[in-house]
Amino acid sequence: MSISVGDAISSFKIPILMGVMVIFGFGIGYLINYTFFSDRSPVQPINFSHKIHVTDNNIQCMHCHAYVDKTPSAGVPSVKKCMGCHKAIATDKPEIIKLTEYWDKQEPIPWIKVHDVPDFVYFTHKRHIKAGIECQTCHGPIETMARVTRVSSLKMPWCVDCHTEKQVENGRDCVTCHK
Amino acid sequence: MAKITDKIKEYTRPGYYEKFDYHWTMSIDLDRCTGCGACVVACQAENNLPIVGEKRFKERREMKWLRIERYWEGEYPNLKLKFLPMLCQQCDQAPCETPCPVAATYHNQDGLNTQIYNRCIGTRTCAVYCPYEVRYFNWFTYTWDEPLEQQLNPDVTVREKGVMEKCTFCVQRIRMAKDKAKDDNRRRVKDGEVTPACVQSCASEAMQFGDLNDPNSKVSKMTKNKRAYHVLEELNTKPSVVYLQKVEKHD
Repeated sequence: MSISVGDAISSFKIPILMGVMVIFGFGIGYLINYTFFSDRSPVQPINFSHKIHVTDNNIQCMHCHAYVDKTPSAGVPSVKKCMGCHKAIATDKPEIIKLTEYWDKQEPIPWIKVHDVPDFVYFTHKRHIKAGIECQTCHGPIETMARVTRVSSLKMPWCVDCHTEKQVENGRDCVTCHK
Repeated sequence: MAKITDKIKEYTRPGYYEKFDYHWTMSIDLDRCTGCGACVVACQAENNLPIVGEKRFKERREMKWLRIERYWEGEYPNLKLKFLPMLCQQCDQAPCETPCPVAATYHNQDGLNTQIYNRCIGTRTCAVYCPYEVRYFNWFTYTWDEPLEQQLNPDVTVREKGVMEKCTFCVQRIRMAKDKAKDDNRRRVKDGEVTPACVQSCASEAMQFGDLNDPNSKVSKMTKNKRAYHVLEELNTKPSVVYLQKVEKHD
């Protein structure tokens, strides 16, 4: 007489199969969520491409994000700034027509924030830019992105690693970043 | 023997720091204080403090990082009233720092007794240990009605339920002053560049704020005054708030 594992679990076949399927389903669901619906790369109201603006047409970052070296926030350009060029350039493209609609309604574009830190974090672009950090260090190869994707985790260990490596003055003190 | 004395030195030096980078200190001249309460209002506005309402006030759950304590002396015809603004004393040997299980409150290199809100788990042990009763607990998540949320200070977190909070010496203003100093390529913040909200609003200039490590700052001069004293000095907490005694006529 031999002991078989198959016999022992034969009466539990259906629950085990169901369990495996549930785990598999969760895996697929996670992958779908990660690729299409994650906050790393949300679909924006206007399909704005950094590639067209920066790589193809050589516009500097500071032309639109004008406050990046002056204030904590880099500043998303206003619709007025977009219309400054797009009154004349590429007015027949579908995305520009969408932009013109916002301009006619005099409404801001409801961009979805990709790079966001919690309210209890004090982050300033100004200090980082003045310390000579490149935009790409945190934002990745943003100049080649057709849709903005978050490359960095923006979590605390990620911040502290860089502060430690660069030996920032008081860079590991809590109140330097937490308010 | 030398070892023992070294050990004693190690444990008695403020917050285990040999010397603070800045030693932020406040001096309050009680002779000048009129008890007007402008500092209390300024603090409330600057630091996003909620108005808790009458019911919560009666339950002793009011939130005032800076409060004015009143001391009545004598009987009716010869009645005297003394004021004492009481805020977090930012003790160099703080009793509140040792019991925190998650190190949400600690002493930093600037001599500040800090409170990190997102780290706090709300055991309330620090409030029990504080001899000055200046730590306040968020029993509820307070909200601001429609237009009022516009007046919240973006540089200060809006605290949630279950978080301990206290006076920070307006750390956001200290941070801004340091930021400005770096822009001007200065290593140090100049005296008078940092003014917490209460100091700024004090009409009689009873309050002074500055760096004690700088011997020429206003605060250093005030602390050398004969009238200077610390509240509950016998507890050896080494507070960073210096009070200047009220001048009285004795018969």
